[in-house]
Amino acid sequence: MTEYAKPIKRRKIKGDAAWGYAFIAVALLVFAMFTLYPVISALIISFQKYKPIGSEFVGFENYTETFKDKLFWKAIVNTVVYTVLTVPVSLLLSFAVSIMILPLKKKMQTVFKAVYYLPAVASGVALSLVWLWIFDPMPVGIFNKVTSFFGLGTHNWLGSSAYAMFSLVLMAWLSSHGTSIIIYLAALLGIDGSYYEAAELDGASFFQKLWYIVVPCLKPTTLFLLVTGVIGSFQVFQNAYLMTGGGPDNATTMVGLLIFNNAFKYFEFGKAAAQSLVLAAIIAVISFIQFKFLGKDVEY
Amino acid sequence: MMKKKMRVLASVFALSMALTTLSACGGKDDKAANVDDPNAKDTITALLPPVSANFQSNFDQMAKEFNEKYPNLTLKIEPASWEDMTQKLDTQVNAGSPPDIAFMGSDGISKYVQQGMLMDISDTATEEMLKDYDAAPLEYMKNGKGLYGFPAYMEVHAIGGNKEFMEKAGIDYKKVQKEGWTFDEFREAIKKGVVTENGKTSRYGFVFATAGVTSKDYLGILVKSAGMPSPFTQDLKYAYTSKNFLEVLKDIRVMIDDGSMPKELSSIDAGKRWNMFLTGQTMITGKGLAGFERSAKLNNEKLKNKDASAVKGSIPVDYVVLPVPSFAGAKAQSSVAVDGYVTFRGKKEPTAAHKANVVKAANFLSSGKIAATTNNELFVAQITESGRKAAESMPVDRDPDNKAAVETMLKAAVPARPDIPTDLGAKAIKLEDEVIVPKLQALIAGEITPEAMYEAVRTAAVDAFGEDGVVKD
Amino acid sequence: MSLYNPHAGRPQIRIARNTVLMIILLAFALATLFPIYYMIISSFGEPVEAGAMDYKLVPSSFSLESYKFFFEFSEYTYRWLLNSLIVATTVMVTNVLFASMAGYAFSKIQFKGRAAIFSLLLIAMMIPYQVTQVPLYILIVNIFEIQNTYTALILPGLVTVYNIFLAKQFMGSIPNEILECAKIEGCNQFQIYFRIILPLSKTVLAVMAILTFMDNWNTFFWPFLVTNSMDMQTIQVGLKNFRFANTTYFAPMMAGATISALPMFILFFSLQKYFLEGVTVGAVKG
Repeated sequence: MTEYAKPIKRRKIKGDAAWGYAFIAVALLVFAMFTLYPVISALIISFQKYKPIGSEFVGFENYTETFKDKLFWKAIVNTVVYTVLTVPVSLLLSFAVSIMILPLKKKMQTVFKAVYYLPAVASGVALSLVWLWIFDPMPVGIFNKVTSFFGLGTHNWLGSSAYAMFSLVLMAWLSSHGTSIIIYLAALLGIDGSYYEAAELDGASFFQKLWYIVVPCLKPTTLFLLVTGVIGSFQVFQNAYLMTGGGPDNATTMVGLLIFNNAFKYFEFGKAAAQSLVLAAIIAVISFIQFKFLGKDVEY
Repeated sequence: MMKKKMRVLASVFALSMALTTLSACGGKDDKAANVDDPNAKDTITALLPPVSANFQSNFDQMAKEFNEKYPNLTLKIEPASWEDMTQKLDTQVNAGSPPDIAFMGSDGISKYVQQGMLMDISDTATEEMLKDYDAAPLEYMKNGKGLYGFPAYMEVHAIGGNKEFMEKAGIDYKKVQKEGWTFDEFREAIKKGVVTENGKTSRYGFVFATAGVTSKDYLGILVKSAGMPSPFTQDLKYAYTSKNFLEVLKDIRVMIDDGSMPKELSSIDAGKRWNMFLTGQTMITGKGLAGFERSAKLNNEKLKNKDASAVKGSIPVDYVVLPVPSFAGAKAQSSVAVDGYVTFRGKKEPTAAHKANVVKAANFLSSGKIAATTNNELFVAQITESGRKAAESMPVDRDPDNKAAVETMLKAAVPARPDIPTDLGAKAIKLEDEVIVPKLQALIAGEITPEAMYEAVRTAAVDAFGEDGVVKD
Repeated sequence: MSLYNPHAGRPQIRIARNTVLMIILLAFALATLFPIYYMIISSFGEPVEAGAMDYKLVPSSFSLESYKFFFEFSEYTYRWLLNSLIVATTVMVTNVLFASMAGYAFSKIQFKGRAAIFSLLLIAMMIPYQVTQVPLYILIVNIFEIQNTYTALILPGLVTVYNIFLAKQFMGSIPNEILECAKIEGCNQFQIYFRIILPLSKTVLAVMAILTFMDNWNTFFWPFLVTNSMDMQTIQVGLKNFRFANTTYFAPMMAGATISALPMFILFFSLQKYFLEGVTVGAVKG
């Protein structure tokens, strides 16, 4: 922000504030009703032994139980491992792909975007059936055919602790970039050509332009994808639910799955609510760190 | 400054007003029968999954017939798919507004009783209704003293074999169907079923679906015939700490180590093993349901007609119903699943009239023509007099030996245990999900020993039930 | 003028470079597309049960049976598609409108509590839906009593935090100078939003539109919860009816999945114009 702009701005603030509230009014109302209200209910429930008829207040019991629960921490570790292995790789891949799509003709751009986006469009349940087949443990399985072709033998992909998590990670690597690619491309197209022009005059190479122009300009986008990616990854449970059921020996039990089980399988809704809030706190801390490191000089 | 603050305050105030009015208008009961008049108009809601292939397409017909029988009543059926129906029901229960009737497994009753959301119909179901049902399945719908619905069928969880392969392996399956077998006999039999070509197994003796949560079925079916028909003994001690449990775990491992079962067993799911059975890659498969005979017959028919939709690589298969072997000298007892129409209540105490109407609807769905049609389609036995009568006119093409075998097994069906208190039941379910199933998956995958698993289960059981709450032998 | 050297004088180099890029992209695309490829080819198989399914890479027979089976399976098939279309379209429009407004306010307008409110939005997003689902259900079904209506399907998704966040991140990089100029020329905030922000954001709004539409088209659980008759189900809920007790009709389910993915393609290609037009801030800056 340039120095002289400030006074003009400050003068305008008062009138603008009303506009600000007006602009967020609908969003805020929807949010308060359909997100905040459920969240506050969940907060209240987390201090209760919840029953549809006659819940009792139990103080911090649900929280202390959560902190003592070994399985909860194991699930947190599994989730962190899954997140660390999938989110950054996925971001990097999407970034690389969108950079590579950029110089192509417009028709080709659309085709590739559509292609990469496809897995996100198709129903997760239908695709999980296909993935189960890819990871078939018998020698006829697709993946086993590939590994035995390279002399790596066949493996019990989803059925052994050693490979189950890796299989889920691999599945994530190969399936869910469509959204990030589209968002990255939109951001890439938004970079003002004059930046490149200036760099070219200075004789900058491709990689210099990439590093000094593209990377900083994409920072807000990266921050967005990173924060939402981590949130999504921490809440993930469908893949584990459909592919491994959390097994074997809880090797792929994610926090999302655990919360789901507590809420519905065991009807310990209070405990599930407490675990969710602990999880949200953990995500919030991580997001805060991300904002701290990437959020700087985003506004200009 | 002041003005701005006011604006913020005003909007916060408006928001909270909006929220409080929202929550204030809750608590209305949508049930029509407010007056306690048995002839008043009333609507009964039922959440039903596709019990059999044609079940859901008959919904309109069912509702119509019910309305003809009881002109003042309307039966409103909500369809739901199997795997999602529990979650929908659970959300509705947690929200305090379940449907009046839901079709589900009787093993779920205890969980909902604990939530206080089931409707005890023992004082409303008439003598005439009750005597229509066979006693054993009806027991499964009870918990404590309460009756929480009517059973639809009682299905034996058995195993199934390929007739030709068993004959080749010299197994007298007819004798086994009548008299059962011990684990040692079974172990020898499945060893003989293994065929190897060029050092690779081309046919296994036995394949059971154990991927993910199906491993629960596997263990559950086996332990019933190892002297542990229920997780709790008659004096309510946790049973899976007994030596027999360790025996079963060892035997599970032995069958894989023998090479009779594939070492990849831990990720074979229900579809996969059925494919292996039809393509001749296994002699015996599990779990076996009566309806598999029909699936096998359908495929044979297609093979005969050179129909392209026959399973690729499949061979004609005669499906033979077999009992589960007995372990450690214990009596063989068949694992059964009783599913039925369970009756729920909302937050408000239901009126006597509404309760009676719900009972009428549950009875209507679980007996007579509807039950007869559905059970026939599933190849399961009728469990009501009225159902048997209605089924007389419906022809079923079933193998008589299989039918007899199922009936023999039904006689040795594990009895219901309505005496198990709900909190004990809940603890056992949690122990099963958080310790037994994960460890079992690891055991099948060859990652831990039977002893290690047994120890883990024992420790967790002592944690949950105390030293005195578990079996010691 | 661009990230890549245009190689203006030597088209061969450009063509060679683009070919290499295409080959890499194609290789990655093949890996990504494999499950989809399989979904589509098996939708042309015979409608048999999953256990009876044989897994093959190249279809041995071609049949439209499954598509017929799908449309004949239930009299409501078209209705499911229509319901999904109504819900997804409405939610898409409201999201683009309200999220862009809120995104603009959060990124460019100074007002008290801005950072706090925004943080609150983000934190709420971090709480898993498994827990908020029951209170939400209570709100819609027990309090509002609007189950089995379009309103119940649409209302909770009217505008999402995800989209507000997305809009905020993109609009944040629109230079302030443009807005200042507009203000000096006497535009009020609404005019700025409508005349400057919206046109400059059409790329991201197109992205938002397609992502929101897709999300709502694919969503299963909420519509499943709040609908209780076949005629109000959406396509994803209807599709699930293909799964029976112990079997799954594999090919028809894949056909259903293919059919339900189709509208996405149409939308994708019809919006491509917006996807591919870079926002030329420079021109506005002039």
